[in-house]
Amino acid sequence: MDTHETPRGMKRRTLLGCSAAFVAAQSLAIGTARANAYPSDTINYIVAFGVGGGSDIVARTMAKVIDEKKLIPVKMLVENRPGGSGAVGYSYISSRKGNPYYLGGVGVSFFTTPLLGKMPLSYKDFTPLAAIARSPYILAVLADSKIKSIDDLKSAKGLTIGSAGAVSDPALLSHLLNKQLGSSIKVVPYDGEGEVMAAVLGKHLDLLFGNPNEILEQVNAGKMRALAVTSAERMGSLPQVPSFEELGHDIVHTQLRGIIMPKDVPAEAVSYWEGVMKTVAESPEWRSQYVDRFNEIPLFLDSKQFGEEIVATSQRYETLMRELGLIK
Amino acid sequence: MLESWHLLAEGLVAASQPSVLAAIMVGAIIGLFIGALPGLGPTAGVAILLPVAVSFDGTAAIAALGAVYYGAQYGGAVTAILLGIPGDASATMTVIDGHKLARNGKAGAALGLSIAASFIGGLIGLILLTAFATTIAQAAIAFGPIEMTALMIFSLSLVSVLGGRDLNKAMMSLFAGLFIGTIGLDPMVGLPRFDFGEVRLFDGIEFSIIAVGLFGLAEMYATPPSIGKPQEKNRFRFRELLPDVRGTLQCWRELGSGSLIGFFIGILPGAGATAATMISYAFAKRTSKHPERFGNGAMEGVAAPEAANNSAAYGNMIPMFALGIPGSGTTAVLMGGLLMIGLQPGPMLFQTQSEFVWTIFGSFYIGNLALVAITIVLTPVLATCAFVRPSYLFPAVIAIIVFGIFGINNAMFEVALVIGFGVLGYLMMKLDYPPVPLVLGMILGPILERGIRRTLVASDGNVAVFFQSPIALVIILITVVLLVSPWLLKNRAGKEHQMDEPQAKKIG
Repeated sequence: MDTHETPRGMKRRTLLGCSAAFVAAQSLAIGTARANAYPSDTINYIVAFGVGGGSDIVARTMAKVIDEKKLIPVKMLVENRPGGSGAVGYSYISSRKGNPYYLGGVGVSFFTTPLLGKMPLSYKDFTPLAAIARSPYILAVLADSKIKSIDDLKSAKGLTIGSAGAVSDPALLSHLLNKQLGSSIKVVPYDGEGEVMAAVLGKHLDLLFGNPNEILEQVNAGKMRALAVTSAERMGSLPQVPSFEELGHDIVHTQLRGIIMPKDVPAEAVSYWEGVMKTVAESPEWRSQYVDRFNEIPLFLDSKQFGEEIVATSQRYETLMRELGLIK
Repeated sequence: MLESWHLLAEGLVAASQPSVLAAIMVGAIIGLFIGALPGLGPTAGVAILLPVAVSFDGTAAIAALGAVYYGAQYGGAVTAILLGIPGDASATMTVIDGHKLARNGKAGAALGLSIAASFIGGLIGLILLTAFATTIAQAAIAFGPIEMTALMIFSLSLVSVLGGRDLNKAMMSLFAGLFIGTIGLDPMVGLPRFDFGEVRLFDGIEFSIIAVGLFGLAEMYATPPSIGKPQEKNRFRFRELLPDVRGTLQCWRELGSGSLIGFFIGILPGAGATAATMISYAFAKRTSKHPERFGNGAMEGVAAPEAANNSAAYGNMIPMFALGIPGSGTTAVLMGGLLMIGLQPGPMLFQTQSEFVWTIFGSFYIGNLALVAITIVLTPVLATCAFVRPSYLFPAVIAIIVFGIFGINNAMFEVALVIGFGVLGYLMMKLDYPPVPLVLGMILGPILERGIRRTLVASDGNVAVFFQSPIALVIILITVVLLVSPWLLKNRAGKEHQMDEPQAKKIG
């Protein structure tokens, strides 16, 4: 696989020169003796959301690291196709069936929009490639809150927790929390993570599940207290905060920064990108420009492991959405 | 506070270095054009420039992105006044009187006033941002769902003055707007509403599509062909292309109230600049001695919303800089920019990145001055647009609209929608339904719905909580007084004339 990542300059130029001819015969050329010819054309990375959001930052930082380290012999274009809660972007990727020149990132709506039954697609219409970071959620309260630990949640009455959108990771986690603790914390949906944070700071909500970056900022400023994290282990940046699992609660759910391709792409393309993504995930550039900067957890999952996580995550959402009465 | 001004002075010096100045100019000019282009607003402008800007050095990148934001507020008014098409959503209210002024041969005066209003609104917003950013941020978060509900009820009550002649038709129009505001994924439950099976309606209908259709296209559809005939060729004097200083100064009251209302509404998370322009316009009309002039080319009707939308832009940035909370679409993208250059907005930013923050604030002052200079120079040139024959102007304008609307999502779906809303606007115009209540309902309705439903989810359906928040209680009381007072005054006047007898009996 290493040979794919570092093609010689000569070959690159030749390949680029005749890329036009390749477009027509792409799917034929790949998978034959000329496996090393892939990729010969610009790679399109589709972000199903707007510029500046979480998925966009992952995509652009990854593309930057790939470019800096010259991991692929062609260009990678990051393109935003927002709309329909991700439906527009994901439909676009899946319509490129068998075409290994289209990539995309996985967000929460990758699972939830198809489950709503409004998009004739599901995770089965995509090929998982790899996951390159993991973002846990942190349950937090205001620094002057009476809630000091997870146990305090059991006895407290009338607590509220925020969620960005009706179906989201924080909503999913809140329902798991209620099940595990026997509590009755009410989930109040807002339009974005920022609004949830504002409502907590303004004492209109009691709790939130936030991503490490935004919670750490508030914890360091002395405004909030972190109660527990949803990763299996404690986080390096918050060593004093326990994980739900070590407290004896079966709540392990993190957001994977994963990459997918359309269905039916050649196996060679999948192993090619597994190689590229492994190099990205393990590079100091990715660590410093993304993982450490956003206080996430370093990780690499290959196509198979990531595919298993996708199935498990989709099932978790399906259960939640059934309980909420969103699907029958 | 004194320290703030000292830090600002240093920021101004730092922002005067050539690389930052160049970034400000690039951002301001892009913002001006994006703002003037119907369909694309500041959010799109910042998003378009973001991937390029992050490759600049950090301070220059954010200075450029900020300049796009406030530049767009200047640009939106240009299209609104000259063509009657809101260049961006927050310029919708400017169309009402601004375009009337342009058609009455006062294009220059209206443009000049909008520039002055933008500058004054921007300056007041900036001064408040500089002096009280962290304090104000704390006050803003006191507004939760309960308080927002009260504020929206108050806003909708002000709106009753914007209806036009026929109250029933105004209410029909308002309800149509409230309905359109419910299209898309239900904000609390997550199920799609009124999507007609169309996945592209999941995120609702972009406000600028409706504003451009109802105001811009509808008017072009309705323009009689005779206006294009050569014998009616418009003559104009050069004077008409120039700003009107005296007329501008006479609007000092609206400039002041617009700036303050804009700033205040802008700070609240989830409210936004467009709502701010509507409330400030309604307030100006409600408190005016000559409310009948509004809607027929009143200078005050341009001053209030234009001051408000610029001021709101800075109010909007306060929760982002001081708390790390993006209160609107544009600040969300801007915050993405801050994250990409490696800064975490939030309570620590003013301490850990003080120099950066003050340089950015400094760049805002410089950018505003630059925009005044650019737009004043352009005013006479732009104002001539108002005198171009429709047969030449309209095809060009329609092409620009299609281009701008297509640019929102790179899709023809939105173009079809805008044409449809143009037809709706035409029908409303012919049947004498006012379009303003519709856009109000569409902007304020979703905020009201979220406020009510969030409150009721948290309170388990207990309505009493609306009256337990002191802030909400005060706002509701003001609303009641405003609604009841004209009716009471009228009744008392009536009683004094005819009802002396029964009243005396009752007392007796």
